[in-house]
Amino acid sequence: MMNRLIATLVVSTFALAAAARAEDKPAKVTVGYLNLVNAQLVTKHLGLLGKEMPGVDIKYVKVGGGGDMLRAIAGNDVDFGGLGNPPTAIGATRALPIKGILVINLLDYVEAMVVRTDKNITSLKDLKGKTVAAPFGSTTHYLLLQALKDEGVDPASMKILDLAPSDIAAAWLRGDIDAAWFWEPNLDKAVKNGGKILITSGEMTKRGYPTWDIGVVMNAFAEKYPSYVEKFIKAECEGIDFWLKNPEKTAEIIAEELSLPLPDATRMMKGTGMVPCSKQLTEEYLGTSAKKGKFVDTLISTADFLVKQERLPKLLPRADFEAFLQPAYLEKVIGR
Amino acid sequence: MSVEASPMDVPISTDRTRRGQPKLRLPKISRSFLLSSLTVALLLAAWTVVTEMGWANELFLPKPQAVWAAFVKTMTKGYQGATLLQHLGASLYRILTAFALACLVGIPLGVLMGVSGNARALLNPLIEFYRPLPPLGLYTLLVMWLGIGESSKLSLLFLAGLPGIVISTIQAVTSVDPVYVRAAQSLGATRRHLLFHVYLPAAGPLILAGMRISLGFTYTVLVAAEIVAASAGIGWMIWDAAKFLLSDVVIMGLIVLGLTGVVLDLTMRGIARLLMPWART
Repeated sequence: MMNRLIATLVVSTFALAAAARAEDKPAKVTVGYLNLVNAQLVTKHLGLLGKEMPGVDIKYVKVGGGGDMLRAIAGNDVDFGGLGNPPTAIGATRALPIKGILVINLLDYVEAMVVRTDKNITSLKDLKGKTVAAPFGSTTHYLLLQALKDEGVDPASMKILDLAPSDIAAAWLRGDIDAAWFWEPNLDKAVKNGGKILITSGEMTKRGYPTWDIGVVMNAFAEKYPSYVEKFIKAECEGIDFWLKNPEKTAEIIAEELSLPLPDATRMMKGTGMVPCSKQLTEEYLGTSAKKGKFVDTLISTADFLVKQERLPKLLPRADFEAFLQPAYLEKVIGR
Repeated sequence: MSVEASPMDVPISTDRTRRGQPKLRLPKISRSFLLSSLTVALLLAAWTVVTEMGWANELFLPKPQAVWAAFVKTMTKGYQGATLLQHLGASLYRILTAFALACLVGIPLGVLMGVSGNARALLNPLIEFYRPLPPLGLYTLLVMWLGIGESSKLSLLFLAGLPGIVISTIQAVTSVDPVYVRAAQSLGATRRHLLFHVYLPAAGPLILAGMRISLGFTYTVLVAAEIVAASAGIGWMIWDAAKFLLSDVVIMGLIVLGLTGVVLDLTMRGIARLLMPWART
């Protein structure tokens, strides 16, 4: 019985491998993209991925936040995904079969903590006894806890709820929550309905807690179709270049993709930091294959924080985080 | 599943006890208990072998020791600010409150619909319509209407439990032998007498069976109810741990949920036997 099972497995593996060699082209590529404002929307809107991969069925799946993206990756539901640094630290620590290949965006005021104007909240200390929401496991949940810790405010002194960004917006409109740290396009709905910004993720970057989103690829896909990883990066880089060179047109695209008024789309766009691909291989970001950049440090400090929060079992050695970042594909695209 | 197998035979043996053969009870239980233990042991052994041999990715299927360690840690140190018992308490509070409400509303409603054809015709469309609705679909609407607090969670659990009780109460009442009713009427029973001395005692066992099913339904919706904006509860703990890929906590939570479900069901049976010794539950 067991033998037959193994035999079947072996045969089917060979068959798959043979098929892959014969084609060297995936039939379908699934891209999980985060529901936020970045150049992936441009790439998607302009169909840049399709141009790089003719004849491949490209499927885009919108994912609410990092926690859901981790589940999608663990369930092998996507080929490419995007993750903020906390979910990336979780994924790397739990040895998810993914590699970080590209900086999707840096998080500035596109993410922020909004507080209810009529509640007289002027500092984090005023949050005591209030109800605060954040999508657990995401960048903003991480920053919320980090900021509370820095100001010496006990998280247990308030009610911190786990809500998806769209649910936060709904709960805000109903008046169920007093404060929330989350991101555009939903953040704006709270600000426009009796909210004001208390602190942004960009300010936390200045305090030494940078947050960013990184593009990841499933290991199995990268091993099978390495050239398609490069094609993916190339398409995303074109999207980033378009974003940087054509801000007006980009704002129009975002407005259309997210069904937003143009001024809102423009503002949200400016709250997102875009790194041109040519600069991503510097010390500040991914670094090179030979010498990995500061993203490794951010991942380690994020993981360390999550370990102290008992969200992760143990802090892995630096080498594991370095191995997680793979600038090699981007290096090939840039031609270094 | 396997754990549930053993109590299945209990009522039969209780019957025997009542007939005055208490000695038969022990071997009966231990036999079924042995068989059930065998299933559990086999499952545990398979789990251990698969994980020890490294056939399963530990991310998806952690070792039994890891799950046990997660259990001990959650019992003593807690998971995210609450110990396992506190999580369990929060969930049980939700389930039992919602279930009690479902019984308080469902049983009178069922009796009414069972006795009066008009009431049944009036209310049936409502119950038949929402009964098959998937709980998560219903939940989004409940959250919009009632907010993210306890009330939407309790309502979801309540709505999950209600139809089971109503439908089985209707069945119970309509299946009461008319001979009982006529006999009581010929002895001069009033409507009140009929309800409390004929309908309810005769329908009681079936109503209780419906309550057990309904408690089960309420239980299955628990995780869904605790996904939105909870900060304690077994369902929330499982959901939260999944976000951080803590599969040991997830599996531990599921085992606790399963065992608690069995205990709840056994308690219901115990109450049934106590209240209605004439019934074979």
